[in-house]
Amino acid sequence: MKTKQFFVILSLLMMFTGIGIIGYLGLSETVLPAWNPASVLSNEDADHIVGKAIDIVDAKGSVISRACRGVAVGDEIINSKGDHYRVIKVDQNRAVAKSLGKDKQFLAWHEFFTDERLAMAAANRKGGTVGIYHTHSDEAYVPSDGSESIPFKGGIYDVGRSLVSRLQQKSDTRVVYDQTPHDPHDNAAYQRSRRTAMKLMKQNPVAIIDVHRDGIPDASYYRATVSDNKVSQLRLVVGRQNPNMEANKDFARRMMAYANKVHPTIVKEIFMAKGNYNQDLMPTAILIEAGTHTNTKGEAERGVALFADAIPTVLGIEGGPQTRNVPGGGITQPGATGTGGWRAVGWILGLTLLLGGGFLFISTGSLKGVGDRLAGFGKEFTNYLGPVTRIRQRAKKPAGDTKVMKKASDNMADRAVIDHRDDVTED
Amino acid sequence: MDRFPLGLIVLIVVSLLIFFGIAQRALDRMRLSDKGALAVILALIVGSFINIPVPGTPVPLEINVGGALVPVGLAVYLLVKAGTGKEVSRALIASALTAAVIWFIGSRLMTGLPEPAGRFGFLDTLYLFPIVAAVIAYIAGRSRRSAFIGATLGVLMADIANYFYLVRNNATNALKSIGGAGAFDSIVISGILAILLADLIGETRERLQGGPTSEGKPDALLAGLRKPQFGRKKGDDNPRGDGDKESRRELAREEVDRLED
Repeated sequence: MKTKQFFVILSLLMMFTGIGIIGYLGLSETVLPAWNPASVLSNEDADHIVGKAIDIVDAKGSVISRACRGVAVGDEIINSKGDHYRVIKVDQNRAVAKSLGKDKQFLAWHEFFTDERLAMAAANRKGGTVGIYHTHSDEAYVPSDGSESIPFKGGIYDVGRSLVSRLQQKSDTRVVYDQTPHDPHDNAAYQRSRRTAMKLMKQNPVAIIDVHRDGIPDASYYRATVSDNKVSQLRLVVGRQNPNMEANKDFARRMMAYANKVHPTIVKEIFMAKGNYNQDLMPTAILIEAGTHTNTKGEAERGVALFADAIPTVLGIEGGPQTRNVPGGGITQPGATGTGGWRAVGWILGLTLLLGGGFLFISTGSLKGVGDRLAGFGKEFTNYLGPVTRIRQRAKKPAGDTKVMKKASDNMADRAVIDHRDDVTED
Repeated sequence: MDRFPLGLIVLIVVSLLIFFGIAQRALDRMRLSDKGALAVILALIVGSFINIPVPGTPVPLEINVGGALVPVGLAVYLLVKAGTGKEVSRALIASALTAAVIWFIGSRLMTGLPEPAGRFGFLDTLYLFPIVAAVIAYIAGRSRRSAFIGATLGVLMADIANYFYLVRNNATNALKSIGGAGAFDSIVISGILAILLADLIGETRERLQGGPTSEGKPDALLAGLRKPQFGRKKGDDNPRGDGDKESRRELAREEVDRLED
């Protein structure tokens, strides 16, 4: 009985630990798991006007950002100055975001990349691989390509090639550029491009980049002059439906912090949106939006080329800051992340404990049942450890007392029911 | 500079362990023994690295062993082992419905200019497909196995439909990969999540109605569910007159296997 009580307490502890970890991460750092079913009914028109955008405004009404219809409550933005916002309300054409102050980790990275460290960057060359692909391979730029969508060979390929050639020209980066199209242009394209992303990962890259263009109609939103070039700025997108999100977010922060040191304001903002975008495959996977469809292709090409200058250093392909004082402090070194990796581990463990504990509770219906099932859990492994347990059982001599025997046989019956529960109820 | 610091290594190891651990527990319920489920997991991992190109196709096509052949093979095995024709037809209808619904949601609703996911991009297809498959399979047959079959074959059919789309539009620069992401492909992940979801739906519903009902259920099923009576006289609770408890349970299980769907 004591072991049962132990397992009941253990399962409760599991659930509470799960809630605790998620609560700690969620409350301290402002991440919302991402699904709001009501938004399907309330915020979206089935026949929405193509290219219509939503202004995201702060409490005072000034525009922070502009995005396509697809903005949801809980989406977050970190702009190039490090201001952190979260969308709290979405109306027809306007979304209201709450300021969450400065993003401390971004500012830490911003401080971290100082001029001396940038000067050191050229020093030691290591080489490394970067994978690049396009999930939406039809994306095109209206002023240059004549249409916003050219199936299988959109103008986005030219932008991809610009990124690739600049990376190869200016550094020792080995680039694997996969030009497989994933048409048609829809959400399931990510399911198809997952195969491409995985194929790239087999080449052991340091990072994989999915290059897109945005769909807001206002070209001036992205248009800017950066380092004396007329370019369209970039937006980094991090998917919230990803248990590793913290790691990817940290990577995005680092990208923006460093890229904006090399070419100020080339990255406009980090947008944390619904979706996964295959970023669960790798902590250093990122999605970039190179301008929008109303920008010219030339602007977008020059924009990604400037962005390319930052990639080798951030990925540690080429020299770069060699220090141990990581932003956020901690055991990790700044190779691919600060504390994002550990936070992501926390999320995964927390979710597993919570869901596992909760499922045990539902499926057995009582705390006793939870205990029983967990007590039976060890038995699952006797299958693999057959000889070991057999020897152990042989070592144990049965007691002679009839009362003890009866209890033992009761226990055995209980165990048998637990063991074979799945056999007779499985459906 | 270390490219993969400790935090990330722990992250990768933990997520792999949890993913494959959960996958093994889920596959365990697919008429496989513990070891069988483990073998399937190994096949998924090893097969992830094997792509088989299909020759003579208008648009290049390749099929991954771990991402497509192993899960589809398992689905076919389940269909073959299914007790009744009813079970097979329910599973197949659920698969076809799943394919149609995920195509409709994934490619019809969630499309258009809005970036990055198209309009209605409220949920990534990675999670959407298994939810659709589990709900449809549960409505069609209240069955975890059917959920697995529906999810696997449904996503496969959506892929085949996409292949025909590529052929029809003469996309010769394309390379269609089915299951190319191996153990992390949406075919595999959909199948496993669908089992777990169907399980969750089933268990919750059963709990809400106050436990499993015994009224009107076949005798053999009830015999199988009954607690084995240790220490009772042999033959007491034994419709077949066969005293041995192992073979008795075996018989009951066979009966149950035949009756359940």
